[in-house]
Amino acid sequence: MAIQVLNGLVYGALLFALASGLALMFGLRRIVNFAHGALYMLGAYVGYTASLQFGFWAGLAVAGLVLAALGVVLDKAVFRPLQHRDPLTTLLVTFGLALIAEDLVLSVWGNDTMSFAEPQQLAHTLSLFETTFPIYRLAIVGFGAAVAIGLVLWLRFSRVGLFVRAASHDPVIAAVQGVDTDRVSALVVAVSAALAGMSGVVAAPLMSLAPSMGADILVDSFIVVVVGGLGSLGGAFITAMLLGQINVLGVVFMPELTSLLPFLLMIGILLWKPTGLAGARL
Amino acid sequence: MEADRTGGGAVVTVPGLLLFAGFALVGPAAAFLVPSTLIQSLLTQATIYAIFALGVGILIRQNGMVSFGHAAFFGLPAYVIGAVLPLGLMPPELIIIGGLAATALMAFLVGLVIVRVHGIAFGMLTLAIGQAVYEAATRLRGLTGGHDGLSLDLPRFLFGLPLKTFQQPGSMLIVTWLVLALMLAVAFLFAKSRYGLLSEAIRDNEERVRFLGYRTLVPRALTFALSALVTAAGGVLFALYNAFVSPETVHWTASGSALIMAILGGASAPWGPVAGAFTYFFLKEAVGSFTTHWLSIIGVSLIVVTVVFPAGLVGLFDRLRPGNRSQGAANVG
Repeated sequence: MAIQVLNGLVYGALLFALASGLALMFGLRRIVNFAHGALYMLGAYVGYTASLQFGFWAGLAVAGLVLAALGVVLDKAVFRPLQHRDPLTTLLVTFGLALIAEDLVLSVWGNDTMSFAEPQQLAHTLSLFETTFPIYRLAIVGFGAAVAIGLVLWLRFSRVGLFVRAASHDPVIAAVQGVDTDRVSALVVAVSAALAGMSGVVAAPLMSLAPSMGADILVDSFIVVVVGGLGSLGGAFITAMLLGQINVLGVVFMPELTSLLPFLLMIGILLWKPTGLAGARL
Repeated sequence: MEADRTGGGAVVTVPGLLLFAGFALVGPAAAFLVPSTLIQSLLTQATIYAIFALGVGILIRQNGMVSFGHAAFFGLPAYVIGAVLPLGLMPPELIIIGGLAATALMAFLVGLVIVRVHGIAFGMLTLAIGQAVYEAATRLRGLTGGHDGLSLDLPRFLFGLPLKTFQQPGSMLIVTWLVLALMLAVAFLFAKSRYGLLSEAIRDNEERVRFLGYRTLVPRALTFALSALVTAAGGVLFALYNAFVSPETVHWTASGSALIMAILGGASAPWGPVAGAFTYFFLKEAVGSFTTHWLSIIGVSLIVVTVVFPAGLVGLFDRLRPGNRSQGAANVG
């Protein structure tokens, strides 16, 4: 039982790392990045190729750097020019980008699923609650926790974090006060993209590489940000943890319905609070 | 209120009727004039997806909402038919109509919940609901056949016509085309009806309409149900034509394709998504012979259309007709 709770934490941690980027981007630009799953997938593939040469950790770092650079390009080439258009325009454009990214991955890496080995240092198991548990999974929980703590510290205590919060609250007023919102936005999109890419690498040893991996987790992370309240990191955190638990506990108690539970949760919460748990402004 | 509700002039005019009759004859004419079974089959498929995209377009035009999960409504009647038919409880025609009604009802109930959420969040929710239906289709193996799909054991006669009418490209082209014409007429009349105008007013400013004393939740949910019903009609034709349904039919990529068709065609006129669907199919056919990068081509087209030509083919058409501006341009893009 306790092991199941831990497994739930593993998936919750991954979801949070992905959804936090979506929430940050929404907060700042009022956009939903449909290509976020594609960034996650690209990160996993880039990390895979780099890790074949230089090992897992280098793969993780390369994926983070490449995706951060891609994030800056995405912000400058797509989000900024479209910032005064209907948010649906950006949604559809990122949808188009996701299709192109999938084609790119298919052309470069092919359609076969590939397995990505976990780093040797973490390829052990640990005796926990009278059974064994892979250390790598614990490391994923650690990754999620590091992302959560890092984001909170960054947003609360750094000068840039203050700018991010100000710009999410009201971009115009923040700009009037001298905050360079375009630079803040480029930074936030870069951080979000890097987090998505690194999540892809971190998740790959668990779930294997396939061109469809981005779309599958994108749906869950959309549920996380909508139920949590668009743009709210705290809401995303709570919902990601909840969804992680629901996924594994569902497998134990009602295996037939597991995959439907997140959707039922979503409908239930939205009936109760249409703006999501954290009640974000829409 | 009554006087200006159609923007002046009758809803159904003689030129309008002639245009409609002419349109309805195009499909049957094509069925007789096009000798190639391959092209007939392509046209039939395109017509089925045109009905699918028309449903998606109605939602965009009337509610200003973009759905990423309409494939659920496309596949649902097919699954209902496949699951209920073997029980032998009622005549197959009744099952088909029941499947349509059940889909519309489900869409209405789902709509009551999700249309409260606006804009992009709505799109994300439809995606999630579509995937819920996909998950159900893969998991409830007893009812749906899981990943293997479900073969529909159709009777030899349906609606008084032999089954092969629905399964040969030539005759099915006529059937699908007539259904398409009917659905276009429904979309057109709905858009001109008092109710359709109310839904457009809600799209443009919901708070103001509420201030005028209208309830806004039910009209928006009903528009959602109508759009699902039109899509479901396409789904029924799909089920009859293929006698088979699988989870791929309800996967979100199918919803995405239908949405792309609606955007390419432009949702500001009912015929836009239909034109978009035919363009999509013929582009795919033409491109498929010399490159495998269809995904990139459609991705780039989607981006170019949303950014540069937000009104799609409808906008292009309006530009070619000087002095004629599209009324009620849906504000997507």
